[in-house]
Amino acid sequence: MPIDQKFSPIRKGLLEFLVLKIVGGAMVYVPDILRRLASTEFATQEGTLYPLLSKLRREGLVDYVWQESDSGPPRKYYRLTDSGREHLAQLDEYWVLINKTISELGS
Amino acid sequence: MQKVITVSLNGNAYQLDEDAYALLSQYLEQSGRALQTNPDRPEIIADLEQAIGEKCARYLSPHKTVVTGPELAQVVAEMGPVDGDPGTTTESPSAANGTSAGAQAGSGGAWSSGAATGSGASPGASSGPGGGAAAGGGPSVSRRLYQISDGAVFSGVCKGLSAYFAVDVTLVRAIFVAAFLLTGGAALIAYVVMMFIIPYASTSEERAAAHGMPFNARVLVERAKEKYAQFASSSDWRDSRNQWRNEWRRARAEWRFERRRMRDEWRRHWRFGAGGAPASAAALSPGAKTPAANYATHIITGTVLAILGLIFAIFTIGWVLALLSLLTTGALLGWSLPHGVPFWAALVVLVLLYNAIAWPIKAMRRSIYYSVGPYQGAWVEAWNGIAALAVVFALLWYGYHHQPEVHNLFDHLSQWWNESVSTQLNQLHLGERHAPEGTQTAFKDLPLL
Repeated sequence: MPIDQKFSPIRKGLLEFLVLKIVGGAMVYVPDILRRLASTEFATQEGTLYPLLSKLRREGLVDYVWQESDSGPPRKYYRLTDSGREHLAQLDEYWVLINKTISELGS
Repeated sequence: MQKVITVSLNGNAYQLDEDAYALLSQYLEQSGRALQTNPDRPEIIADLEQAIGEKCARYLSPHKTVVTGPELAQVVAEMGPVDGDPGTTTESPSAANGTSAGAQAGSGGAWSSGAATGSGASPGASSGPGGGAAAGGGPSVSRRLYQISDGAVFSGVCKGLSAYFAVDVTLVRAIFVAAFLLTGGAALIAYVVMMFIIPYASTSEERAAAHGMPFNARVLVERAKEKYAQFASSSDWRDSRNQWRNEWRRARAEWRFERRRMRDEWRRHWRFGAGGAPASAAALSPGAKTPAANYATHIITGTVLAILGLIFAIFTIGWVLALLSLLTTGALLGWSLPHGVPFWAALVVLVLLYNAIAWPIKAMRRSIYYSVGPYQGAWVEAWNGIAALAVVFALLWYGYHHQPEVHNLFDHLSQWWNESVSTQLNQLHLGERHAPEGTQTAFKDLPLL
């Protein structure tokens, strides 16, 4: 089994974390998120991202504001809520812990 | 020349050719199904439509205003299959591996033509061991129980059951006949109940779902290719070529018919406004209106219709009995008319009462037919009429044989009938004798008018 397939469940699980990270950086529009991820190992598609964002919104971690666009209809720009920011900080902390564990094992 | 269909994607109009339209409505329907349990379904669908529209805009310019099938296929491939359950990381590692392998082999779920050929157990499913195994597990398409009227003996229940359990239809029919004989008719009731509750597979997609096969444009082509391969390798080539050609023609005609139906429905939808469809469905593309009447809706409406039919039938019997008792005994089921109320007034009241009670039941049933889809209304109505009649006859038959009162009533009735008929006949004979005179008078009177 190729390496990338071995990690695909992990990638899937991490996607939420990464999306929170991107949304936390600046107010973003879904194509922005996709573009940011496209060049990485976490490249994803609308079919996955929209349901994920709606789940995050239901959990109260992100919300969106409508913004007019020069071309076409108004767009949804996503941003973190306060509880989302808190959650992201916890995830970050945990991720550092996991990283440490992985790099220390076997050394 | 290609026909163009205009669709509204989240409030903006786009023009698609027929292939693109078929692909898009397929994609949106699958998305809707994947999100069935998602509370944000309408919003996510609107977001998806918006994204599709923006991707389509890439292919459009002032001198190219129509999105073609291949372009839309590209758009849909970029969108990717909709993840019905985002962020579920609790699944077991092996299951996760399986799904990811399946996704890798055929880029995901029902869109994978590999999965289609895999579940069809054709020799063409050589997409690697991992992919083959994932496709063989094939949870991408759920099999559904439908009635299949195509090639049915009676209503298509057996045909649908045979498709559902993937066994020969003759076996199912034999089991039914045996059960019918052994249970002394109880199996017939089961059949009738199923006839009403199980929805008909009326579209190509539903027919595919009845057999547990995925249906989309690509799968249709794939299936046709498979048939072609069979024909090419067959020794009896002339025969199978004709068969293949017929099959292909049939599939094409079916497809065309379905599109026309969707289009008509869409038009009707526009003409009459939302027409009872929920607002979210109205916001979707035209194709999404049909799946609004999905499998669960069919089941529920079928059950409700059957129950309403039964209530109606019982009510009708009661009314007929009341009417008969009024005609024969001059009293309403043993309850004599109040003094001073003439016989004809009671009759009029009874008829009015019937209409007053029957009307809301009828209206309810009609509104249910139309929520399922106007194209089925006539058939559902016809079936319900027959069923109501059957229930009436069955109850009367039972009453005649097991309830002495009913038996007496019938005997009384036949006596009354015979008497009145003989009187009528006598009068008729008298009338005949007088008839020529009457006509003459009429003619004489005419010029005076």
